[in-house]
Amino acid sequence: MQCTHRLVVVALALLLGLGAPLVRAMPVAAQSSDIAVVVHPDVAVDNLALTELRRMLLGDREFWPSGVRVTLLLRAPIAAERDVAVRTVCEMTEAQFRQHWIAKVFRAETPTSPKIVYSTEMALDQVSRVPGALTFVQASAVGKGVKVLKIDGKLPGQAGYPLK
Amino acid sequence: MPPGGDTYPNLKIVGFGDVDYSDTKRPEGPQGFSEGQFVLHMISALSPRVSFFSELSFTARPDAGTGTPPAPGYNAEVERMILRFEKSDQLKVSFGRYHTPINYWNTAFHHGQWLQTTIERPEMIEFGGKFLPVHFVGALVEGAIPASGWNLNYQAGLGNGRGSVISRGGDAGDINGSRASLVNVFAKPDWAYGLEFGGSYYDDLITIPTSVSNIGEHIVSAHVVWTREDPEFIAEYAGVRHEVGAATPTWSHAYYLQGAYRLPQFNRLWKPYYRFEHIDIAAGDIAFATVPMLDGSTVGVRYDATQLAALKFEYRTWTRGPGTARNHGGFFQVCFTF
Repeated sequence: MQCTHRLVVVALALLLGLGAPLVRAMPVAAQSSDIAVVVHPDVAVDNLALTELRRMLLGDREFWPSGVRVTLLLRAPIAAERDVAVRTVCEMTEAQFRQHWIAKVFRAETPTSPKIVYSTEMALDQVSRVPGALTFVQASAVGKGVKVLKIDGKLPGQAGYPLK
Repeated sequence: MPPGGDTYPNLKIVGFGDVDYSDTKRPEGPQGFSEGQFVLHMISALSPRVSFFSELSFTARPDAGTGTPPAPGYNAEVERMILRFEKSDQLKVSFGRYHTPINYWNTAFHHGQWLQTTIERPEMIEFGGKFLPVHFVGALVEGAIPASGWNLNYQAGLGNGRGSVISRGGDAGDINGSRASLVNVFAKPDWAYGLEFGGSYYDDLITIPTSVSNIGEHIVSAHVVWTREDPEFIAEYAGVRHEVGAATPTWSHAYYLQGAYRLPQFNRLWKPYYRFEHIDIAAGDIAFATVPMLDGSTVGVRYDATQLAALKFEYRTWTRGPGTARNHGGFFQVCFTF
């Protein structure tokens, strides 16, 4: 029954001309309050260690293995998604994170700092359109056309998932 | 953001500024209020893999208005100008004028006083100082390798080395036939998030008016840094070997140790700190004949008034080598980024 339902959704999407990939989205518990790490569907990575994700968030790792530049899309301060990225992944306060990125760009280590997105919809829209993009959204909000990464081998909703 | 990501070029400008106050028992440098540097940093991605960086500084001159023609009020300086091509995280190639990457402080804070905890740089790497070459004009190859969580970073460079005034880089060309070369390697291991340690080697042949012969210069340096603020710790050492003909080579040494702690109370706005620094110039080191020795302590506190502006209050006490009179003074700085 569930399989038939998915086929209908895929067929409808194709009929409506929605070109964005649909089948790369990984299963996520719909009601999960976990924060999902979402990337552009063409990113050929399925899993990141939390330490790798931290290096990306801090600008120490700037490229995906394919050679595409990582584009960080972060919610503005106060949003829960940003709080998880800054406090849980980077183990920093907002002030420290901000100073880190000012210094990172000033040191000429990277030309771009994370880009601000102002809503979950904007985050999902941009991550589906910008090659190499990565963002954080509530797992329950993840839709089609994007890809959810495992963190330390776990998806949102699974026991031991670190981004809550 | 456009659908494909960034558009090019995408120029961004960031600035830093500071205003200082100092009052010392015996004057060394400005007394009373003084303008610090006004710094502009321009960044522009020219494509997804090519970027331009520059840093301009404007520094108030103590001789402004004197001489014929009258000296201007400010010195304008291109501190850094870098064009970088990025193949991957493992390989980046750049050309231009850098802050020489053989000293952690020199490349971590540049001219951004707001970025550093203390008011002043350690004297071993102060702007206008001679102990270490602050600027480097040439090319750098750099990158980072995960190395099973060790996150090894490397930089290798070839450039002009010091100018005839050894506090300056060879901006207009190499003054002798020998290029300077450097290698810098450091690790930022995953297993100790916040830790960075590494070392570097620098080699040059310097030419100065006070020496008939060229002087071979070899610099070794090392650093250990804990970048988290609770606590923060920076320790650096540099040894400079000078060789002139058949004379016995000289070794001059400098190091500093700095500790700070962001207090968890009061909204984490206060950060007390302490630094001890030492410079020992070898007898007979003709390249460093005018470099003063130093044994000094700095104790202070930084108050972050906002996320982008800070106040710093310091007391320093120091001597200039054995038998010299002790000096001390109070210092204040307001610094910001915009």
